[in-house]
Amino acid sequence: MVERFKRSRSLRKVKVKVPGGSTVVHYRRRKPKGAKCGNCSATLKGIPRERPIKMTKMAKTKKRPERPYGGNLCSRCMRSLIVERVRSQ
Amino acid sequence: MIEVGRICVKTAGRDAGLKCVIVDVLNDKFVLIDGETRRRKCNVFHLEPLKEVVKIKKNASHDDVKKEFEKLGLKVRETKPKPKKERQAKKRKTPEQLSVQKEEKKKLRDIFKLKSKDAVKDKVKEMENKSGSLEEKAGLVDKSKEIKADKKEPQEEKASKPAKKSDKKK
Repeated sequence: MVERFKRSRSLRKVKVKVPGGSTVVHYRRRKPKGAKCGNCSATLKGIPRERPIKMTKMAKTKKRPERPYGGNLCSRCMRSLIVERVRSQ
Repeated sequence: MIEVGRICVKTAGRDAGLKCVIVDVLNDKFVLIDGETRRRKCNVFHLEPLKEVVKIKKNASHDDVKKEFEKLGLKVRETKPKPKKERQAKKRKTPEQLSVQKEEKKKLRDIFKLKSKDAVKDKVKEMENKSGSLEEKAGLVDKSKEIKADKKEPQEEKASKPAKKSDKKK
């Protein structure tokens, strides 16, 4: 009987070509969802979609854009927030 | 609104949210800014102009901007340029010095040559001493006899060793 984890779709299938020439199915864990903007929930750019183990190994500068609210707000929302704050003063 | 001396807030990039002053208007799209931000070219759309205007000359230096900002109670971003290291120019050697250098090199060369020749001669002598007659080289002499002779010697040595130990015990 097929193994249980192979019957569910919790793991994604990846076809890998082995040195012998044949293609084999490998089971790998799925990637997490992409980061979203805290205001408009648009997908954030410049943030890699990787599992936490890989993210910890990455440099800080590779994980988020280097600007205020980088990695939390999209650039449009950040800009509007700053402009709002300046105009209210 | 966009004029020299106008204080603005940068709204884009890594300097976003920081105050700056327009130092120069490059064209209808770009201006040169300085202050809390880095001194750099900037798009007009990336600036939010404020009411305040500072009296500075067009293309004012960073120090002038610093003075004006201190009056307003703002800190200016300081970028430390690397101090220039003065490299020592290589002095060319005079022809006299070069001639002396050549002579020294020649002397050394001669010494090494003599040494190498002596070493070769010594090696040849050693080889001659090690190798016996031509018959031995050719392998015509019976090796079995030599081996037997070698084996006898260690037995004699063994016999002599315990005797020495016994002497020590006494």
